[in-house]
Amino acid sequence: MFTNDFTLTKRHLGGLLLVIGGLAFTAILSIDLLDAGREGGIGPAQQIALISSALVALLGLTLIPLGSRPA
Amino acid sequence: MNTAAHAPTPRWLTALHRLLMASALLLLMFHLAVYIGYAVNLMRFPFDYDQGEGFELVDTMLFSQGQWPYRDTEAFPFYSSNYPPLFHIVAAPFVWVFGAAYWYGRLLGFLGTLVTASAIAYAVYREGRNRPIALIAGLAFLASNTVYHIGPLFRQHASMVMFETLAVVLLANANEITDRKQRRRRLALGFGFILAAGYTKQLALITAVAAGIFLFIRQPRRALVWGIGAGIVGVVIFGWMTLATGGEWWRQAILANVNELRIVQTVALFNQWFGLHGFLIVPAVLLAIYELYFDRLSIYTLWFVFAVIVNGAASGTWGGGDSYFTTAIAALCILSGIFASRTLRGGWNFPANYLTRWLINPLRRAAPLLAQAALVIVPLLYLGYGRAVLHMPTDGAIFGALSQALGLHPNALNGFYDSARTADGQYATGYANIGHWTTEADIEAGWKISNLIRASNQPAISEDAGFSLMVGRPAITNPTQLLNLDKKGLYKGNELVRMIEAQEFGLIVLRAQFYPDRVLQAISRRYDQFDTVTMNGFNYLLLHPKPE
Repeated sequence: MFTNDFTLTKRHLGGLLLVIGGLAFTAILSIDLLDAGREGGIGPAQQIALISSALVALLGLTLIPLGSRPA
Repeated sequence: MNTAAHAPTPRWLTALHRLLMASALLLLMFHLAVYIGYAVNLMRFPFDYDQGEGFELVDTMLFSQGQWPYRDTEAFPFYSSNYPPLFHIVAAPFVWVFGAAYWYGRLLGFLGTLVTASAIAYAVYREGRNRPIALIAGLAFLASNTVYHIGPLFRQHASMVMFETLAVVLLANANEITDRKQRRRRLALGFGFILAAGYTKQLALITAVAAGIFLFIRQPRRALVWGIGAGIVGVVIFGWMTLATGGEWWRQAILANVNELRIVQTVALFNQWFGLHGFLIVPAVLLAIYELYFDRLSIYTLWFVFAVIVNGAASGTWGGGDSYFTTAIAALCILSGIFASRTLRGGWNFPANYLTRWLINPLRRAAPLLAQAALVIVPLLYLGYGRAVLHMPTDGAIFGALSQALGLHPNALNGFYDSARTADGQYATGYANIGHWTTEADIEAGWKISNLIRASNQPAISEDAGFSLMVGRPAITNPTQLLNLDKKGLYKGNELVRMIEAQEFGLIVLRAQFYPDRVLQAISRRYDQFDTVTMNGFNYLLLHPKPE
């Protein structure tokens, strides 16, 4: 990865976005699961963040089939 | 699929294309003329035009005297800046020659936008080799309502966007330079401009992130080496400034600057941004999607995405506003320009993948027709944009006749028309209520307030610093910064409140009343309003001590 001619491929980028989106989605959801005393459920800002995270993961998924083309 | 292979273009279509392109160019040149007129008008205006300009002049004056503007706001004159220093340092030599004045700061902001527009035109030309489109893309940046009204102000935002744009344009092709020395020079200059942008205004952080991710995608090793190097330089400067100001740089410019987000304002400004720039946002987004699935991601696309998402969201913060979209506007002008020039030369290539099979192959037969339609659609996009962002005075010999012919009615201050507003003058929350041209009556009103400050034998507090500075009096307090600090629980205000209670100020001039509640309450207890002066459509309340 740290050689002079290495470059990220569409598959690498897709995988990264999938992992980042998935982790962010889980972390945002965990706010409610871990903080049991918190009132109000999933708020509007949290909803936007959840949808955005899911979209990032989905975007990553669509890039993975593009294989080894440079990103 | 290469869309370049298509039937010869009929003569009438070529003629129509040229006519439409000339019309788009003419319309955007008209916008440039209005912009220059506005800039000259503001440079001749000797007082604050946009709220807070005067405090940027105070920062510049302090730097010209070798002093930091990051100060203890609990002690007289209760002043501190919350902005990084570079813009004010650049303007400081003007203070040595011309004293306190607004015109040079406004000139620097205006010139900054011209440099940005030139960099946009150069980037578009480098990618597409189409001179008219490159010129139009640069002019489109200057035509934006947002760029128009913040460009020629004594504020650092336009300079930040200039440094950001220069950095991005320089770094865009840096990886492809084969000569090592030349590549290193280019990378050093690009990162240098990013640091300059960051030390002009904090919002430039997104450009650093976008550039870092772009370089990481292209060549992770180089990105890490240069990113760490630039990071060390940035942190050393930051640490030195924090130490040299006794921690006030950190407290005033960072801690006090993180403000709460008002989602309603963010949504309103996003709607407005799309309504005004939609004709260029659509092609910019199409190019971004193309790069993602069929080509390599450019720095422009990453810059655009981060500027829209991060700065767009931040536009809803207290102290934010439509100016936070300026970086996104620069990016979309580049992307839409590249889209337009690539479309006109038929330069779209679709390598074989699942999306090409599903979406592109069914359209192959229509490619020649689409290529010919593009000759009309591309200039129409710019014509549509030129109409969507229309703003101009509606009085005077030329503008009066023109606005009458176009059926435009003033919907802003001083007889100005601004397409960002409704017919009755309503506008999105957070949109700056400026853009109108100043008049002689405004200048007279400003001098009336200044002369009252001059006549007072006690110090005066003014919410616009210019009234004091123009008569050689010091600026006392920076209301928005006191409010920033107060919102974070970082301001006590005991000494200022004591001085107000003791009526130690001969005159208080209020405009938006952006002081902490405690200060406003003290003013209302001990001072009476005796007059109101209207300048630029805003009411300035003049207060003097209540009789004992």
